[in-house]
Amino acid sequence: MATTQLRKSAPGKPRFRKSWLPAHMLVWAYAVLLAIPLYYFLASAFKSNEAIFSSPLSPPTSFGFGNFRTAFESAGLGSAIVNSGLVTVFSLALTLGLAIPAAFGLARSRGRVASLVEKVFSLGFLIPTFAALFPTFLLSAVTGLFHTRLFMVLFLPATAMPLSVVILIQFMRTIPQEMEEAARIDGASTFGVLRHIYTPMCMPGIATVLLLNFLTFWNEYLYSLIIIGPDPDLRTVQVALPTLKSQIGTDYGVLTAGTILTLVPVWIMYTLLQRRMQQALVSGAVKM
Amino acid sequence: MRSMLNRRGFISAGAAVAAGVAVPGLSGCGVLGGDESDPDTLVLHSQLGGTAPGSATFRAVLDTFRKENPGLRVKSLVNGDELGQVYETSRLAHKEADVVMVNLYDKTVSWTGLGATVAMNGYLDDWGLRKRILPAALTEWTDEKGRLRALPYIASNWPVAFNRAAMHQAGVEEIPLTGDALIAAARKLRAKGTAPVTIGGNDWTGQKLLAQIIQSFLAAPQAKKLYSTGDFSGIKGAREGIEYFVELRDAGVFTDKAQGLTTDSMTTQFNTGAAAMESAMSSALARVPDQVAAHTEVGGWPLPSGAVHPKPTILRTFTVSGFWVSPNGTKKIETVEKFVRFMYRPDVIARFVSEGGRDMAVRTDTLSDGFPLVAKAQKLGDSVSQVVLPDLYVPPSAVQPMIQATSTAFTPGTSARRIISALEGAYRNA
Repeated sequence: MATTQLRKSAPGKPRFRKSWLPAHMLVWAYAVLLAIPLYYFLASAFKSNEAIFSSPLSPPTSFGFGNFRTAFESAGLGSAIVNSGLVTVFSLALTLGLAIPAAFGLARSRGRVASLVEKVFSLGFLIPTFAALFPTFLLSAVTGLFHTRLFMVLFLPATAMPLSVVILIQFMRTIPQEMEEAARIDGASTFGVLRHIYTPMCMPGIATVLLLNFLTFWNEYLYSLIIIGPDPDLRTVQVALPTLKSQIGTDYGVLTAGTILTLVPVWIMYTLLQRRMQQALVSGAVKM
Repeated sequence: MRSMLNRRGFISAGAAVAAGVAVPGLSGCGVLGGDESDPDTLVLHSQLGGTAPGSATFRAVLDTFRKENPGLRVKSLVNGDELGQVYETSRLAHKEADVVMVNLYDKTVSWTGLGATVAMNGYLDDWGLRKRILPAALTEWTDEKGRLRALPYIASNWPVAFNRAAMHQAGVEEIPLTGDALIAAARKLRAKGTAPVTIGGNDWTGQKLLAQIIQSFLAAPQAKKLYSTGDFSGIKGAREGIEYFVELRDAGVFTDKAQGLTTDSMTTQFNTGAAAMESAMSSALARVPDQVAAHTEVGGWPLPSGAVHPKPTILRTFTVSGFWVSPNGTKKIETVEKFVRFMYRPDVIARFVSEGGRDMAVRTDTLSDGFPLVAKAQKLGDSVSQVVLPDLYVPPSAVQPMIQATSTAFTPGTSARRIISALEGAYRNA
């Protein structure tokens, strides 16, 4: 039976068996299920409140950019995106600048102290974000950095260190000891080993850390709201966006359009880093 | 193999990164941090941003103020619902804005008492505003110790809107004035597939309508006592009001699944003609599309027999927004005065009424002619009775539990006894 089917199918072309039909149907149904909210989200950006609520799944009657323009102008999204970009980029630079050497040191050490330090980093996962809010606020007030972006640039890497270091340690441990020994014979310094051996070989891990932290930093809301505050010159995009929401009635078309605008940098970043991250995930190196 | 970047290079690069990191922070320092003591910079904090009603007018009048005062720098901070939290933390750091424009509700009720803002009694006369502001508004903004919490600015009418076209299609020709007429109208509307009264049973709009209906059997002093104490089972008339609410709900007066709806779903149901009636603030009425507004009348909530009010009721409030002055604001009070006096100028008030479609807590002859339903509500006058808005009397800690209890009340099948228990629980657990 199987031989007959094999003969009928074109060489190199996967055969479609009737028994696979339910699986195909389930997969497609699941795909549609995932696509519907995305479609609803995109379509709403081109609709009025009335259209969104009365016929949520109908396509927009026009594709004008009025909602996008209103969102951009009335929430000051231009400067907010720049502010978010500044905070995110500098925080990422600081995170990598601290996490890579820390992971390098811990990955190569075999002593008890290193093991203890690694565990301390892991303990960072146990601190709930909300619990640290008030002490963090007090710290920013005492240091005179309340209502500045600088505090967030210093604070966000601290929150990202546990995950970043733990991920990078796992990557660095997969690098054979012989690579470092060969470099040493060629006269490489410790920093040279990090720069020329570990860093390039850990690029999938670094991309993973970059992407995960980018998403966290870009989407951070609570601390940005309290610490940076609502000043239009300083506020981040996640603080600017809720100004489109009103207790008296929200224009969801405008709000959705604004949300899409804030997602563009996320989409660009994901597009740039997705291959590296998938590579890292497929390699099984991410232990989470 | 030598590293292309040696240790010295690494340190230099690190310093460069650190300097780069400092740049955005330093550029941010002083924008708020240094302004609280600069008499030529005024920092405003309001909810009038984004697409909120009146925000375009606010931005426009701010531009006018800037042009008239070129030596003055005006910074406008905007938050939505989270303004209270943001202001309070800023105040803790002594970096709060000079003037706050926010409603008197929930947390803000206790601001003056806690010293987060200053009492405005003295400034009211010094700045010559007593005659500009409506006396009833001043009363609402004054606390039990006689402190004027803020200078009243934006008010609101809260009538019931009736879509006459939808009612006519269902065979309802008269606006219902009694509970029985409302139930009869609801039956006819439902038979035609139109929801009778739409309401956000899961948010503050539901809370206000429930409070309004409960007051059918309560005079103002009793209502104030009720909302201050939460004694729904002890105060005479409260139980009858809740039983009237249950009667209306069980007769199908409210839209289906009202207990899960919010303001947005309510306004959309009315604006699309899916529902024939809504109890809405005038700012929501300003957004009713022209084709619906053309067939809409405004009036009061129908009363049961034996009600203590002579006419159908509406809510009116002067507490939508006012000018609160912070301790930082008192350090440059001349600048604050200049701004506040500008905002009370008749031409500025007229812009809020005519362009923004807002009701004001200020004397003005201007009507919101560009917003027909807002104008109709402004003209209701004594043709309706007024009930007490509970916001000033409900303890701040009970506000959110009250909204949860409201959702319970709008849930079909919930008895009056259980509603009373839920409402009293909101006060007990707060």
